[in-house]
Amino acid sequence: MIVKVLIEKIFTSVPLVLLYVLCFTELNLESVFYLQFFSFNVNAMLVYFWTLKRPQMLGSGHIFFANLINDVVLGLPLGTSPLTYLALALVATYIKNSTIHQRFSTDWFAFIPAIFFAYGINFIMIIKFSDLTISYNDIVRNSFFTFLFFPFFYYLFKTYSEKLGLDTDA
Amino acid sequence: MAEQRDDFIIAIRSALLKRGARQRYSLFFLISLSVFVFILDTSSFSYTKVVRSILNDTIYRVSSIASTPLKFSKFSIIKIADLTKIYNENKLLKEQLKKYEILEFDNEFLKIENNSLKKSLKLIDLGSTYYVESHLAKAILDKDSPYLKSIIINKGSKSGFKKGMAVLKEDFLIGRIVEVNFFSSRVLLLNDLNSKIPVTLDPNESQAILEGRGNDLLSLNYLPDGFTEKENETVFTSGKDGVFLPGIPVGKTKINKNGELNIELFADINQLNFVKIIKVIDERRTNFK
Repeated sequence: MIVKVLIEKIFTSVPLVLLYVLCFTELNLESVFYLQFFSFNVNAMLVYFWTLKRPQMLGSGHIFFANLINDVVLGLPLGTSPLTYLALALVATYIKNSTIHQRFSTDWFAFIPAIFFAYGINFIMIIKFSDLTISYNDIVRNSFFTFLFFPFFYYLFKTYSEKLGLDTDA
Repeated sequence: MAEQRDDFIIAIRSALLKRGARQRYSLFFLISLSVFVFILDTSSFSYTKVVRSILNDTIYRVSSIASTPLKFSKFSIIKIADLTKIYNENKLLKEQLKKYEILEFDNEFLKIENNSLKKSLKLIDLGSTYYVESHLAKAILDKDSPYLKSIIINKGSKSGFKKGMAVLKEDFLIGRIVEVNFFSSRVLLLNDLNSKIPVTLDPNESQAILEGRGNDLLSLNYLPDGFTEKENETVFTSGKDGVFLPGIPVGKTKINKNGELNIELFADINQLNFVKIIKVIDERRTNFK
């Protein structure tokens, strides 16, 4: 019984572990897939999906803390990534609260304003309040491919949660 | 209309303030905290810099350890790929070696000729203009980001590193130090959008600014009027900024399909393990008698 509970705990912690691995280590899934041009943001998809479908899997506190570490690793001003991904989580929670019947298409298309809102905050914070220069084209390209790759990760996360027997519409 | 607005406000308020089973903090609290941290970090308080430096050192070390399995797998993939290339590379290297042997003889001849010309002009070179010290450092973290191209090295202010120092791989420039902590430093790579260094090229010593574009090819800006673009010309640091030493090889010119002049770096900045940091100890004057 204890073993079963423990295994279940480990498997339900996988999205959280993935979030920390993506923020803490050198892991960059785009470079693993050798898709440098088609760069996409797995972190954003992870936060959006789990906040929308099962927020208890990925606490907001963890989103804040993991992305604070991400700022240190990437050399961004502290607070930039937490604010970006918390803004994304905010839009996802708003969509969850205001949608009665969640469908894949609505989730996917609602991802457009969500990602543009979050990236907009990120862009303004970096451009206006730091000495860094970032490419506007890179951000637009990254958000476009993140949107495009979303269905793949959506079904991947959904299949995973179904295998675990979790109700993603909870 | 008013009802719709009320619904929107209720949904947003609920999203901001709601707390669940594993949601100890509301989004409103965490967003406010992020803004507070951001303001503290971007402000110029001296104590926040010390805290940031300690935080950087700690996280870089932990992150480096956490990335070890990943580094090992990357390293293995690269090594396997290298093995497949070795045979063809060996053939090519043999041919190149022959060419370099000839060049070495030419070089020897030029040295002798140069010395004899100096003697006839009665010039005495008091040695190198600069006395430099190079330090070896290990790249402990190399997280590729779509926006920022930088690496973390395992030495910092304790080893006497300062902002602006040139960083080399083998003998080729790859970037400069932009952040110094006690035990670690951040190196901004040449291909980063924020990287801009003065360079010189061609026999006429044309001056230009080398700018990163976020990919492996760099661009040259502020070239002199009437500059003729040629391929395979070596680009060196000009030292005009007073930060870098002059004459560090950077890369060679390459004209792309659209006819634009790009710079291809000599060093492969995607595979950095150990790097050399150049420290200028003393600047001597070169006197001629």
